[in-house]
Amino acid sequence: MLEIAFAKPDALPRAGALVLPVAETEGGGAAAAAPGGLRQRADEATGGAVERALEAAAFKGRKGQTATIWAPGAGLSKVVAVGLGKESELSPEAAEAAGAALLPTITGESEAMVSAEHLPPPLAVALAMGAVLRAYRFDRYRTKEKEEDKPKLKRLTVATSDPDAARAAWAAQEAVAKGVYLARDLVSEPANVLNPAELAERCRQLESLGVEVEILGPKEMKKLGFGALLGVAQGSENEPRMVVMRWMGRSGAAGKGKGSDGAAASAARPLAFIGKGVTFDTGGISIKPAGGMEDMKWDMAGAGAVVGLMAALAGRKAKADVVGMIGLVENMPSGKAQRPGDVVKSYSGQTIEVINTDAEGRLVLADLLWYCQEKYDPRFMVDLATLTGAIIISLGHEHAGLFSNDDELAQRILAAGKAVGENCWRMPLGEAYDKQLKSDIADMKNVGGRPGGSITAAQFLQRFTNGKPWAHLDIAGTAWATKDQGSTPKGATAFGVRLLDRLVAEHYEG
Amino acid sequence: MLKVRLRREPSDAAGAVHALPVAEGAAPPEPFRAAAAAARFTGRAGQVVECLIPGPRTLLVGTGPAAAPLDWERAGGEAVAHADEETRTLVLDARGLPPEAAAALASGACLRAWRFDRYRTKEVKPGLERLELVVDRPREVEPLWERAAAAVRGCLLARDLVAEPANHLTPAVFAERMESLSAHGIAVEVLGPKRLARLGFGALLAVGGGSANPPHLVVLRWKGRTGAAPVVFVGKGITFDTGGVSIKPAAGMEEMRADMAGAAACAGAMLALALRGSPAPAAAVLALAENAVGAASYRPGDVLRTLSGRTVEVLDTDAEGRLVLADALHYAATRLAPRAIVDVATLTGSIVTALGHHRAGLFGTQSALAAQLAAAGEAVGDLVWPMPIGERHREDLRSDIADLRQCAPHGSGAWGGRFLPDACHAAAFLREFTEGVPWAHLDIAGVELRREDEPLGIKGPSGFGARLLDALVAMRFEEEG
Repeated sequence: MLEIAFAKPDALPRAGALVLPVAETEGGGAAAAAPGGLRQRADEATGGAVERALEAAAFKGRKGQTATIWAPGAGLSKVVAVGLGKESELSPEAAEAAGAALLPTITGESEAMVSAEHLPPPLAVALAMGAVLRAYRFDRYRTKEKEEDKPKLKRLTVATSDPDAARAAWAAQEAVAKGVYLARDLVSEPANVLNPAELAERCRQLESLGVEVEILGPKEMKKLGFGALLGVAQGSENEPRMVVMRWMGRSGAAGKGKGSDGAAASAARPLAFIGKGVTFDTGGISIKPAGGMEDMKWDMAGAGAVVGLMAALAGRKAKADVVGMIGLVENMPSGKAQRPGDVVKSYSGQTIEVINTDAEGRLVLADLLWYCQEKYDPRFMVDLATLTGAIIISLGHEHAGLFSNDDELAQRILAAGKAVGENCWRMPLGEAYDKQLKSDIADMKNVGGRPGGSITAAQFLQRFTNGKPWAHLDIAGTAWATKDQGSTPKGATAFGVRLLDRLVAEHYEG
Repeated sequence: MLKVRLRREPSDAAGAVHALPVAEGAAPPEPFRAAAAAARFTGRAGQVVECLIPGPRTLLVGTGPAAAPLDWERAGGEAVAHADEETRTLVLDARGLPPEAAAALASGACLRAWRFDRYRTKEVKPGLERLELVVDRPREVEPLWERAAAAVRGCLLARDLVAEPANHLTPAVFAERMESLSAHGIAVEVLGPKRLARLGFGALLAVGGGSANPPHLVVLRWKGRTGAAPVVFVGKGITFDTGGVSIKPAAGMEEMRADMAGAAACAGAMLALALRGSPAPAAAVLALAENAVGAASYRPGDVLRTLSGRTVEVLDTDAEGRLVLADALHYAATRLAPRAIVDVATLTGSIVTALGHHRAGLFGTQSALAAQLAAAGEAVGDLVWPMPIGERHREDLRSDIADLRQCAPHGSGAWGGRFLPDACHAAAFLREFTEGVPWAHLDIAGVELRREDEPLGIKGPSGFGARLLDALVAMRFEEEG
């Protein structure tokens, strides 16, 4: 990961790149250089070249605007100005966007410094976050990349008026960024490498952060009676796993709540996050069309986000008790595979007629949801899943679908998502939709037909929440980006990590 | 519609079936108490028990908690649903109930009793004809019922239009039927193909170009009396949609005679406003065309010049609704000086995938208007759900050759291009033609037809939107002065 250092703006860098984040004034021009700042000093050291060049480039400081001045003198290889947007609208979001925008202009440098001393330290940190998140690459499987195409930047120095404050704030953000990186790695991995057992093993690395990791294999799950999950898994050579990750940042010891009286007891109940982890989804016997099937390696993005979230929370030592739970299977057609028409008995005892083996995510989640509420009695459960194509037809790629039986929880998730740029859109639930799941021979079918396809999927999940506060994020449209956007490069987005980290930080710590 | 009479006492019409609404948990009156107990009648919504003794035949109808008028409407509908085919007169006993509840019971009964038998020539059952609404003080109920009846009539007009097959209801015939609304004080203006061409309705004319039945635009105006700017409804009225050159699969294509349900809902709402003498000025613009396959059909790849002057690249001739609406919206926004525009359209299959058959999609540019629409929908049982128009949705409509394209190309989305948010794309497209007027868009595909009998209507045309728009006007646009 790109290393971030904070320093006082004592001296111009002697080499490499200098980046100047510049706001746009109300009049529509670039803000003037702060007296004595790095920008003014760079201008002086280059004989006025910097300001002349910005003038010539018609640089106005607009959001996303950049201007590169090559070899301006004073030993610098380049000076890059990046727009912060309107002065009056400066915000962490704007700073993060500027950080993301500046990053591609300096990856070819070995060293770079950002002149953020005129920004409040929290904005300097947000800017660093944008740069780090934008710098993510997944190049594990490239063996022939040319040297000059590889990014050289290892370390970005952010000049700030208060390095200590920035460093303290950055520590938490860095942990979150690491969680995002971890989730993106997991989602990017191909399915021949990342099967359920491998993904479960990789969760073990969270132990070094103080997370308790428990892995259940097919035997244990069979004993428990996870009939829905095991039905999905039975077609694959790669055995299923369930991973339970516990971070007890409030109570300290695992599973031991402190208080027993009223409010304290409620606060002592853990928060629960549950992820769908289908490491590859062929659709099973109800096999998918070939076009685009390669995308189905990221059908475990919900699980990836939960793992990343646990890393983020533990990494920043969040003062909350949190349980993360992921159900890992591979959905394959084979002689052993589940058939359309099969009836399975879920862990809850409810029976399910499997009409479509490609509606497998909800079967996996069904067992996890019931197990989670029964074993941990959490304050709420939030599940993340690349669940339906229908949610893309509904909302596209800018919003995840949010379904919830709890308005307060839903509002908090919407607000947290907005704050970190992981936007959700509330979708309806209702009895009329639930009826579409009626089966002739079992308690329910696993699909309710094309109309309202994402809603009936959520209704299915709701039947396994036992009425507990719950929210479901259908992230099929937001887990993978087909183009660079802000601090998210093309590819795995890790959607959910920052949103849920923010949710915990805003409402459930302290 | 049923002939409704308000009475203090039930008449003793021969063969009449009586219905007695009972709220959940309330004890049914003697002499039905024992029967109710034996049949485990609790007054739950939808529960109906027929008591043959002591006579006359009486239906106990559960109203549920009976908290909202809609609960009473549903109970009225259930009563009708359980009167058998031989019954000509239903006696609804609303004594002891608030006047609003009595009016709602009658509304529900009339909505459920609607049928469309025009094209049956054999074995036509006369069915229910009369409703006696028995109330304590008819004079108190009368004005409330008149108001409610106006909305019901509007809704039933919409259903009648939607039910008509496309060989009977062409754009010209639709327009002609609108002329009859002038009897209720609505000013009706019909623009035929020649005038549309002169004015530059390039999109509407292109969509209708393949059909032997040329397109029309109908403008309905209700003056009201507040003197405010009008609220304007814009309706998609594709009298039949083959898909055009991008032709639809054969299975289910017969339902495409209902592709004018948006225009029908707008017409119904106008009738409701006129019948109840709404003080609010209102207008409706109905874009009527048949999307046929013909030698003069427009094609994928064509570039059209819309009424607004903006050019549109056609990718799919089956995304025609947004094209006719583009012209109609621009006309409404620039000619009628509206304070708000609401369009209603059976626009996309995508909204059916998103929200199914239980809610319409609500898009728009003004949150207050959207909130009022949602509230109006809740009140009358035409449920909607807010949906987003994102930046990406607009970006996806960039054209290589024109000002914008009408939809995103097939195959351009995720997972091999099988999943496109077409309802959002369509809404983003329409927004371009609203010229900054506060606007909301109801995508009613999926709710324009009932898939099965429900308390407020039999299987078939639902009239969705007519009562909703009437309620919206009542809630938001009738303040005087």
